[in-house]
Amino acid sequence: MNTNNIWELAEAYLAGRLSLKEQGELKSRRETDEVFASEFNDNLNLISSLHSNGSQKRFRAMLSDIHQQQAAPVTTKIKRTIQLPAHFWRTSAVAATVALLTSFISYSIMSGGAKRNDANYTTISNTVRAIANDQNKLKKIVQDSVINKKSPIVPTSDVRRTGTGFALTNDGYFVTAYHVINDGNGEGDSVYIQSNDGIYYKAFVVNYSAESDLAILKVEKKNFQFTKGEVPYTFAGKKAMLGAQIYTVGYPQEDIVYSEGYISARNGYRGNSKQYTMELPAGHGQSGSPVIDARGNVLGVLTAISTPKESNTYAVSTDELLDLIEKMPPGNKMHLPKSNKLSRLSREEQISKMENYTFSVKVYKK
Amino acid sequence: MYSATNNEQQLLRALAKGERVATEQIYKQQFPIINSWLIKNGGSADDASDLFQEAMVVLFSKVQNADFTLTCAIGTYLFSISKHLWYKRLQQQQKEPGRLYDNTEDDGGDVGIAYEEDINVHHEREAHFNQLDAALDQIGEPCRSLLQAYYHKDKSMQEIAADFGYTNPENAKTQKYKCLSRLRKLFYSVQAK
Repeated sequence: MNTNNIWELAEAYLAGRLSLKEQGELKSRRETDEVFASEFNDNLNLISSLHSNGSQKRFRAMLSDIHQQQAAPVTTKIKRTIQLPAHFWRTSAVAATVALLTSFISYSIMSGGAKRNDANYTTISNTVRAIANDQNKLKKIVQDSVINKKSPIVPTSDVRRTGTGFALTNDGYFVTAYHVINDGNGEGDSVYIQSNDGIYYKAFVVNYSAESDLAILKVEKKNFQFTKGEVPYTFAGKKAMLGAQIYTVGYPQEDIVYSEGYISARNGYRGNSKQYTMELPAGHGQSGSPVIDARGNVLGVLTAISTPKESNTYAVSTDELLDLIEKMPPGNKMHLPKSNKLSRLSREEQISKMENYTFSVKVYKK
Repeated sequence: MYSATNNEQQLLRALAKGERVATEQIYKQQFPIINSWLIKNGGSADDASDLFQEAMVVLFSKVQNADFTLTCAIGTYLFSISKHLWYKRLQQQQKEPGRLYDNTEDDGGDVGIAYEEDINVHHEREAHFNQLDAALDQIGEPCRSLLQAYYHKDKSMQEIAADFGYTNPENAKTQKYKCLSRLRKLFYSVQAK
């Protein structure tokens, strides 16, 4: 049998074109003739790989065709009705597509607001499932509380989201990003902060602004203090200059993480004047982190990153925060720190002070 | 009786054959769900179509196997595969090493492992196909175009004979077998490395 015949035989075998008699002959030959069997098997493998590779390629081509077809009618519609600057067109078209598609499926997404439907803007709270690491920490705290009566409160249900918060006053007021508390699917049942030493404290929302994405909370415990001293940093009353060096500390993971960068644009996402655009690495879980300048002034609260490249990070500027503090409901007396004790310290010393006032915010839901 | 399960089986059989109507139906039903999930979890619309198409290919390959079993609904399967692919991608980019954050409770641990397995098989298959494509690129003309026309573009030997200027399909077929022999040599030498 020559080479071509072996190929032909393999093809016929794969296509199921062999008669019973031919199948029998093939079987006995594969059993007795080793050289033939190995060549035949190689041919068989090669042909079937070629076939499945080919059909997969056709399938992929069809998929991207379907994808384009699904996206196309929507984009033309948007183009007709809304005038947008050219560089926003693509993003907006995608966002509109997403909005249209999701509206069939999930009302909750739609009600979450325009930002949520935008592909390039991602808030960076961390939605978590019970993580082993976390569980262990919880266990340890339960044990601690039994043994030392150190922490009477231990959250019972699962962590839904984590973010970062930092103190406004030493007596328990702190700020985080509003979407950490409410991601558009309703507020969590309870909010806890976990301080640097691992102790949980329950907190409640005092004031918030969904629009600027800020929430002010207070620790429930009476006579609570973050540390012995007053909050060492101050809050910038006006917007910082372009190019200002900045850094942040937050909790993208269980341990506090430091990162640094600079202000790259005066305004935030799509020219939002309440925000800064920054070149600053940040990840999920860092929402609510303080953005601090070299002298220890808090300039803003970290809220979002642009995806997929994550080249930009956005923060709400502190004048928004100060605004929100002014509009506090009656009965809340807040004495913001007046003197800055960080300005003369080195970066390392600043960070080690900041650590005492920056903590992980955990939102629980049953 | 008409039931959802029967309907899904029919859909899968049609998908296995690469039928456009069935594929489109699954696409329309499932893509928006995955798209909105991904965007909530830090992905972009481009990521979503990437991942979803990858998940569809995983499913497509899985149903090629005559005795495949799908222990859950198509939507659940695609969603889980997409999620796993996304977590893998995040891990590779080291955005969030090892952290799987999620607010849906639909997939239990065991099922997760099964998906993991499907994805691993998928990756191996992709690597295999890449080697095959690499061998095809080295084979030279007219073999490369001829084999691609037959296997990738699904053209008949008649069409190929006409396109490539062979006097009859039989001659084209002989040429195809020669090409296959060359490809075999190249492919298995690449694999041996």
